[in-house]
Amino acid sequence: MDNWVISMMLGASIFLGAVALGAFLWAIKNGQFDDEEKFLNATKFDGEDELNDAIKQEQKKEALKKNYKPE
Amino acid sequence: MSNKIACSHCHLEFDRSLMIEDNGHYFCCSGCQGVFHLLSDEGLDSFYSKASNTKLTPPTNQYEDSSNFNSPAFYDKFVKVNSDGFSEVSLIIEGIHCSACVWLNEKALHKMDGVIEASINFTNNKATIVWSDDILKLSQIIDMIRAIGYNAFAYDSSTQELHANKQRKEYYLKMAVAIFASMNIMWIAVAQYAGYFSGITQDVKTILNIAEGVLATPVLFYSGWVFFRGAYYGLKTKVVNMDLLVATGAASTYLYSIYITVQERGEAYFDSVSMIITFVLIGKFLEVLSKKNAADTLDVLSKNIPSEVNILKNEKVISSKLSDVKVGDIVVVSSGERVLLDGEIIKGDGSFDESSLTGESDPIYKNLSDKVISGTVSIDADIHFKATKDFQHSTLSNLVTLLESAINKKPKIQQMANRLSEHFSSAILILSFLTFFIWWLWPHSFETSFMVGISVIIIACPCALALATPVATLVGLSLGVKRGVLFKEAAQLETMAKVDTIVLDKTGTLTIAKPEVINETILYDFDESLLYSLVKNSNHPIASSIQRYLENRYEKLNEINFDEYGQSPALGINAKYNDTTLVGGNLRLLNKFNIEIDFKTQDTVFYFALNSTVVAIYELRDKLKADAKDIINGFKKRDIEVVMLTGDNKHSATQVASELEIKNFMYEYSPEDKADYISTLHKDNKTVVMVGDGINDILALARADIGIAMGSGNDIAVDVGDIVLLNDSLKSLEDAIKISKTTFGLIKQNLLISLLYNAVTIPLAMAGYVIPLVAAISMSFSSLLVVGNSMRIRYKWQR
Repeated sequence: MDNWVISMMLGASIFLGAVALGAFLWAIKNGQFDDEEKFLNATKFDGEDELNDAIKQEQKKEALKKNYKPE
Repeated sequence: MSNKIACSHCHLEFDRSLMIEDNGHYFCCSGCQGVFHLLSDEGLDSFYSKASNTKLTPPTNQYEDSSNFNSPAFYDKFVKVNSDGFSEVSLIIEGIHCSACVWLNEKALHKMDGVIEASINFTNNKATIVWSDDILKLSQIIDMIRAIGYNAFAYDSSTQELHANKQRKEYYLKMAVAIFASMNIMWIAVAQYAGYFSGITQDVKTILNIAEGVLATPVLFYSGWVFFRGAYYGLKTKVVNMDLLVATGAASTYLYSIYITVQERGEAYFDSVSMIITFVLIGKFLEVLSKKNAADTLDVLSKNIPSEVNILKNEKVISSKLSDVKVGDIVVVSSGERVLLDGEIIKGDGSFDESSLTGESDPIYKNLSDKVISGTVSIDADIHFKATKDFQHSTLSNLVTLLESAINKKPKIQQMANRLSEHFSSAILILSFLTFFIWWLWPHSFETSFMVGISVIIIACPCALALATPVATLVGLSLGVKRGVLFKEAAQLETMAKVDTIVLDKTGTLTIAKPEVINETILYDFDESLLYSLVKNSNHPIASSIQRYLENRYEKLNEINFDEYGQSPALGINAKYNDTTLVGGNLRLLNKFNIEIDFKTQDTVFYFALNSTVVAIYELRDKLKADAKDIINGFKKRDIEVVMLTGDNKHSATQVASELEIKNFMYEYSPEDKADYISTLHKDNKTVVMVGDGINDILALARADIGIAMGSGNDIAVDVGDIVLLNDSLKSLEDAIKISKTTFGLIKQNLLISLLYNAVTIPLAMAGYVIPLVAAISMSFSSLLVVGNSMRIRYKWQR
């Protein structure tokens, strides 16, 4: 049998798995599982407004960081 | 139909006539109205659809000035500056009922200029807020939280807690990687082993080896990093620990597997590498999970002491920081409050509950120029006293200092598994080297001898050994929780199983710590409702227990409204009803009312007189807990020595001891005496368990090998104790011992299983008979055996 089929299948599946693992690690680091209640309720508050709010918050943080001058 | 409607903000229902009407909305108070308008002005009114009909607490306007939050002292204690230069504070938000409340708070704070991050934990209501202090002050943040109807307190998020959380998270990450990789390697290994039996070309073997190698690399270097670190620190302190064995085993297997892959010589051992790391990492994680920090205890301790007292200055009562009170200041204490400083009474009198400090079960009457001690509670006394010591030198704070040293002095009993694994690790490493040299000298190629040498390490790699203790203790801990026994640290199970001396406190541990009526003498018939109403109006412990007694005994008791009602501190109660004078209290009260009675007893007595004639006498005593005697006998049967220590007087100590047949008991012991007694026991090489509930026991609790606190006891005692009995019953004390003995037995069995396994497989490995398949199967099998054996006791206990 052609060896490259096995190698490709293995490579592809390990890669896909690694992507999922990466996302999971990111979520843990991000503190998304720290509070189980909030995590379960998060679907209720997941809309356009929340996304906008999150982006605005990011921008505000960046802006403040730029303005911040260490003494 | 009822006329009640719900408030538009808090959803509590009130009568329509009482509500404030506003544009079709109804509000129960101006506070709710204010919040409602604020939210619609800010565009946050979608909160109400999110919260649906959850009932909220109506906001109040009575908060202390929020500018306190801006004081340098406050910033110093609670506000941290993070790495970006922003300020960070941990708050506890009060009034959170639902996830919509969390949403609202976060949203409102995010809208504020200068707030960078606000995240609230719904489970414990703790919030972390990051903001730029140049733009706004903490007081404005607090004001905002209050404006939307909640309240916030700062709390000192201890570094210990942060550290523990960080460590746990790190383990989650490492385990996620390890488990992911191991599970995938298993799939590939199935192909590998299937090929081993049914024929497979070397090309395919190599492809599978490479795939396994790719997966095993992060497991070894990322997840397995803890073992390299542990081995390094172990070597630094000249200890051969399990980490070293795991690290050398995994690393050499890894290197050898790379060699096989490159040289195309059959199957690599990458699956063993990742399995070893994963199993042992899980075991280590279980241990981390059940570890308690001594420093955390002290944190909670200082939190428990309120930071403010009322002092009298220029004829006005003001509140002052505890640490600011100087010797000579006049402190005001009202009934029900805790005394926080030592001093001398200059105004007022009344009785104090010193039981938490001295163990004395009866309230103590104190009058002018008597000394009050910090840590006691005023029962019915409204007094002014002159502080004779500042807080730093007070009895209470002395106790805290002593406690710190007691915690450090706690003996550490090394765990059996640790001790064992040390010897085991050195033995395996030596055996492996020997095998290698013998094979090499007995002319074999370097390659073969190296492989055999390594196979010894791989086969011995202590998966089962690493899992033996944590799995067993985890089962033990969860069994304990189900029976109301909370072990704070896994290691305590082992110590507890070796106990040979139990030291018990009297008040609150063996007894209920509440006086109970033991004898009722009725001299003349009277209407019980009169006495019932008389005692019901007082919150003195004796009055409450007579109330309880009457409620149990008589069915029809109605409350009577008296024309006059008065309480004399530490004496009793008197009242007037339709020309009848009612007097209830102790002998001194009777003397005051010129009533004569001749009655003798050793117990606390409550006399009840109508119109100067004593009609009933109640004798009260702090009763023993129902199961006390059985439990004590149970300990004796197990050959455990029982000692009772109490701060109470000789009479009540002797009484309790003789009732329980405890030969060894000490009375009038101070907290320090108790701790010293524990130390003397330690000198005789005894393993001591101390059981107690009050502040007077904390030193002893801390110094004993195992301190067991009653769940309803003093908060400090609960924190200091290693084991907490949640339902206060002595039955769970017995359960605690049983559970730890079973668990310890289980640990021993598990260790035996894994050692037997090694005894069989290591010689095979040394003889060079171990092929990868056997290694992988036997490793999993022994681990399963250990886990399965641990699960067994769970079923045994369930019946």
